[in-house]
Amino acid sequence: MGEMTLDVSTAAVRVDGLSRRYGATRALDEVDVTLERGITGLLGPNGAGKTTLLSILATANEPDAGRVLVFGLDPRDAAGRVEIRRRLGYLPQELGYHRHFTVAAFLDYVAILKEITDRRQRAEEVARVLAATGLEGRARTRIRALSGGMRQRLGIAQALLGQPDLLILDEPTAGLDPEQRLRFRELLSGLPGDPVIAMSTHQADDIAAICPKVIVLLQGRVRFAGTPAELAGTAAGRVWAAGERDDRAHLSWRGGDNRWRHIGDHPPAAAELVAPTVEDGYLLLSHAAGQ
Amino acid sequence: MTSSHPSPAGPAAGADGHAGEDLLAGYAAGTVDGVATWSVEAHLAGCGRCRSALSAQVDAERLARNRSVLLVRTALPGGGRARRLLCRCGLPDHLLRLLAATPSLRGSWLLSVIGVLAVVAGEAAAVRYGWVPAGGPGRLAGYRAPEVLAPFFLVAPLLVLAGVAAANLPMFDPTYRLAVAAPFSGFTLLLVRAVAALGAALVLVVGAAFLLPGPGWLPVALLLPSLALCAFALAAATVTDPRVAAATAGVLWAAPVLALLAAAHGPLPIVQRNAQFACVAVLCASAVVLLMRRDRFEMGWAR
Amino acid sequence: MRPGAEERDDAALLRAVARGDEGALAALYDRHAGWLTVRMTRRCAMPDVVDHAIQDTFLAVWREPGAYRGGGDVAAFIWGIGIRRLIDAIRRENGARRRLPWRAAEPEAVVSAEDQVLVGVEHGHLGQALAELSPELRGAIEATVLDGLTCAEAALLLGVAEGTVKSRCHRARVALRAALADQHSGPDGAAPRREAWGTS
Repeated sequence: MGEMTLDVSTAAVRVDGLSRRYGATRALDEVDVTLERGITGLLGPNGAGKTTLLSILATANEPDAGRVLVFGLDPRDAAGRVEIRRRLGYLPQELGYHRHFTVAAFLDYVAILKEITDRRQRAEEVARVLAATGLEGRARTRIRALSGGMRQRLGIAQALLGQPDLLILDEPTAGLDPEQRLRFRELLSGLPGDPVIAMSTHQADDIAAICPKVIVLLQGRVRFAGTPAELAGTAAGRVWAAGERDDRAHLSWRGGDNRWRHIGDHPPAAAELVAPTVEDGYLLLSHAAGQ
Repeated sequence: MTSSHPSPAGPAAGADGHAGEDLLAGYAAGTVDGVATWSVEAHLAGCGRCRSALSAQVDAERLARNRSVLLVRTALPGGGRARRLLCRCGLPDHLLRLLAATPSLRGSWLLSVIGVLAVVAGEAAAVRYGWVPAGGPGRLAGYRAPEVLAPFFLVAPLLVLAGVAAANLPMFDPTYRLAVAAPFSGFTLLLVRAVAALGAALVLVVGAAFLLPGPGWLPVALLLPSLALCAFALAAATVTDPRVAAATAGVLWAAPVLALLAAAHGPLPIVQRNAQFACVAVLCASAVVLLMRRDRFEMGWAR
Repeated sequence: MRPGAEERDDAALLRAVARGDEGALAALYDRHAGWLTVRMTRRCAMPDVVDHAIQDTFLAVWREPGAYRGGGDVAAFIWGIGIRRLIDAIRRENGARRRLPWRAAEPEAVVSAEDQVLVGVEHGHLGQALAELSPELRGAIEATVLDGLTCAEAALLLGVAEGTVKSRCHRARVALRAALADQHSGPDGAAPRREAWGTS
């Protein structure tokens, strides 16, 4: 380990022209992405290609075309792939568990897969990630006896084993309540070594709450890359609140304050302009792509 | 430590007979001399209060860290006697722990295998031990009723193949995606699991074969065919989908046995000399293919 | 806390550990790990080795709580396990590092005549005689008598050959006998409650 030179400059992960098909479906279409240190959110509906992109970044999948560079290493090269995997923590969308495993046994198993062969070192790592995810008292609990939120935390814990430089989390906030989401954000922000973190979600408020950078993926294409504020800004001047429904608006729904919220180009009657949120920007982009 | 001799007044002994704060601090820091520390240690052996006082001198974070590591290590299954024995034989502990996740080594699987073997070997054993009268045409020298061997011959290597398949196929490994994205060599994982599953299954198969009527070499006669079958399946898995590979291997074994049975020969020709040589050839060829194409296992099984 | 009460608690905790109560093990740890760490550090200067030995000790208590027969100090029982785990950890470390054997925690280089350290009356004359021994002889006596190690174990702990340990113990005993014979050795008014030697 360490014989390969690492490019630890800011653009730690570079993706150029990535394409991937499954039969007739184009899961990814000429995707260009740059990931830097810190948290980047991948926003898009189900089927947009988020999982495919993340699994390719995690070297669990191969693209049909295009190039990926992780810390300057190329996963097409066998040695490079192993080096990337040594620095990788991956939480797939459907994380499976052996039914009879306890929390500690599962983490021990994953730690062995991450090449931590010394059992004392493994125990230290397992203890560390249990503490980081708040699961200390659960070491002996069987996984099937854990609640959904705890299983999610366990998934994050296994990704943290080995202190990875690249953390790939596929829908990590699914099943977490708002308080847990806050703790999740604190956990990610406080990781040692300032790793590159890519997490996917289909909920815009996750992005607003957690990610300083966001990439919007729709139908296999990148539609936006920037900060959440910029994403919200794309809907500037096109979001209104009114007392009534407007049929000419692109999108229209009743908000929590019992007023209707519209996104569109034409202000409805008796409507006032409101500040756009990240979700508004996202919905506008979705609508545009849908056309 | 009541004093009946006038001892030099020092910072150490408290009037109540316990070690004083300074002495404990000095002991903890290592600045107190050898003989005085013996006195402290002798006192500590019986005094909980001074023990607690001493504990306060130790770095709390260090204690907490060791505590959490301890609780993790107690949470891990200690491993039975089998594991400790294997460890002493030189097998690395981490490989043995990897096998904890293998379905083909779990009690429920092994019991099922034993059950199936009992059924297919049962009738043959009954014939051999005379519980059921042997008879019928086609008795060949040295054993009775060769056709009773057919179920066993058909099933036993398939059971071994099934064990190896269950140990490795992604559909049986819920953590398969994690294993793909992990640096641990996929090929090493495959070999470790396959060898373990082979070992466990072959022990059962050979053991059951001792119950069969037939020539003395019968129990070991199925070793090479089973190994060849599994090696073929693994090599084929580098070329095509692993489930297809396993199924193909199974068919390639079942077909000859059934054909021999249909032709009213016993199934013994399939384990006689020529067939054994053929198995060796298949085994070697498969091993070569497997080694040459082992990179296939590093990218996961499904494309 | 009365000494008697705590000892009962310790034994009760051990019984709970035998029933598989992890909380009892944690309680035993909280009570004993501190002084155990200090005592081990006196014998081994490497904190990582001591950490491993501490973990191994309580792991051994967890796996075989029945080894405690019920008589005597739980603390002494734990120390008995601990010192041997420490030696194992040292042996592993030596094997791993392949360096020259380290030394046990350095005793203060030379016992000075003006040593102001207080020695309890349990030692009295004996303590004085002990203080006059050289550090190596004292170390050998400490390992074999106080810690109850075999010569082989003591050799590992001190980083010397087994024969060296034996000869040092012999010389130490000779020196102590001579020193004690020189002193006034009438029986004390208050008989010491504990022997200086066999407290563990």
